[in-house]
Amino acid sequence: MDYDILLGKPAKDKSRKKQMREIIFFKIFFLLPAVLFLAVFMYYPIKETFQLSMMRASGLGESVFIGFENYVRLFTNEEFQSGLINVFRWAFWSVVIQIPLSFFIAFSLVAYRNKMTNGLRAVYYLASVLPSAIVAMLGRFMFAPNFGIIASISRKFNWIWLDKVDFLGDPRIAFWSVFFVATWAYIGFYIVYIMANIEQIPVDIREAAELDGANRWQYAIHIVLPIISYPLRIIAVLCVVGSLKLFDLPYLLTGGGPGHATKTLGIILYQQGFVNWQYGKAAAVGVVIFLLSLIFTVAQFSWQRKEGDIG
Amino acid sequence: MNDAMVEKNKKDFRTGSWFSGVIINGILILLALSVIIPLLLPWFFVFKTRLECSYNPWSLPTQIRWSNFAEAWTAIRIDQGLINTVIVCLGAIACTVPPAAMAGYIFARYRSKVTEVIFYLILAGYFVPIQMVLIPLYKLCSQLSLTDTLPGVILSLAAFGIPFWTIIYRSFFQSLPGELAEAARIDGAGHMVTFFRIMLPLAKPATVLAVLLVFIGAWSDYLLSLILLNSQDRFTMQLRIAQFLNAYGVDHMPRYAAAAIIAAAPTIILYILGHRWILRGTLAGALKG
Repeated sequence: MDYDILLGKPAKDKSRKKQMREIIFFKIFFLLPAVLFLAVFMYYPIKETFQLSMMRASGLGESVFIGFENYVRLFTNEEFQSGLINVFRWAFWSVVIQIPLSFFIAFSLVAYRNKMTNGLRAVYYLASVLPSAIVAMLGRFMFAPNFGIIASISRKFNWIWLDKVDFLGDPRIAFWSVFFVATWAYIGFYIVYIMANIEQIPVDIREAAELDGANRWQYAIHIVLPIISYPLRIIAVLCVVGSLKLFDLPYLLTGGGPGHATKTLGIILYQQGFVNWQYGKAAAVGVVIFLLSLIFTVAQFSWQRKEGDIG
Repeated sequence: MNDAMVEKNKKDFRTGSWFSGVIINGILILLALSVIIPLLLPWFFVFKTRLECSYNPWSLPTQIRWSNFAEAWTAIRIDQGLINTVIVCLGAIACTVPPAAMAGYIFARYRSKVTEVIFYLILAGYFVPIQMVLIPLYKLCSQLSLTDTLPGVILSLAAFGIPFWTIIYRSFFQSLPGELAEAARIDGAGHMVTFFRIMLPLAKPATVLAVLLVFIGAWSDYLLSLILLNSQDRFTMQLRIAQFLNAYGVDHMPRYAAAAIIAAAPTIILYILGHRWILRGTLAGALKG
């Protein structure tokens, strides 16, 4: 039985071959824009990045093939080393501080739901929607030495110890100031995300837990946490990959300084490429960022597969 | 899970003391204040003169002066940036959403071995950090004479947005019942007509989501505009804010406060107007992704 005839394809005199050709033409026509975009603006540049990373190349002059020299130079370079350390420090503390904090807030919002809940959630999320340039502007407004809000308050109350702290200029503290601002800006999204996943948990499960005499926090730790462990792991991967790509906030708040205290791989890439015009080295940094994020993403997926649970 | 069931899940706990509720709600309100206060504090300084601000930062302003706003406005010129930003946003939507919808439709409804391979190539693009290709992207744009033009930013943003939205559209079209398209085909509609008349209108929730979130993404973009744009009159809003940040310090507090208010105002106004949609969109994305 030929279903095409049953389905009454438009023109009866059209041969089957012609219809097949029509479908193929349709597919090509519909896939072409997306494929072209990716081929030109993503896959071609990726190929170029790998090539460039093996070359001594600057904005001007000939490019020379030098093998892995760029990578060797990077990994023996003090700036790049501190960039790597900063990025992993950032990733570690984001997972350890931002995710538990977001979980605590998200669960509190769900478990103590009242009239304010939706408003509070909207306020938290506002900080995540603010573009990083504005977040950096507010960050400096709070943390700038002498004239910033914190300095101003500490002078008002004569807290000399606090007035002396240079939040963005002291190499020991700058990292944490930037991290604090980033936490302020990022957790809104995590809260919304975790809340959405907690609200998906069937109410029967909670009622059963209540019957067994669990209070809210026992329920949170022993039941909610295991159930939403998959989305939490996704956020953890987002945190880690986000740290590898980190650029805007540290660049705008401190420019990577003082010294290398807040240098990230993104800032090093930008400075090598667009300040020093060392295309080859910058491309090598790009490859490192890519490979590291690939490792973490693949690790997440294989972890998930091993446990055999999906969402 | 449908909305009614989620609504039922929102039922409150029966047990627990009122005391813990007070403490937790207190913490939650404090956290909300920590978001709001930095946005409101600039108003405290913006009406003062520089001198008044450094001697009596925490007293009420002696009179309401608007001159700081004028000064900050000429320094930041956010109006020019705003126009460029809106152009970038609209361009990014126009270049991201239609290709993603079309490709997602093919991947969902016209599957074959070839389309599966192409789908995985596009899916892989989702994991490519834009930082990785920054240098070649810049070189490519200068070869195409797209540097220092808004289309350069738009096309690059689109290329990095398409993978995610293709995935979303694909799963959305897969979730729609197939009979509708078949019925349209029986009525003699061609492939194109079926897509544009039947399937695309049904995918409206996905489209609303895509338009909204692509808009927000383009609105906040900093890195791409930073490397691709270099003349003042093409700067986007974020570049202008960053420029102000690098040129003027906090030492002139009233002007800085005025600039902060001006810089944040467009985003906050948009958020107040659209936060329901934005939150709903994020939630849908959160549960799908």
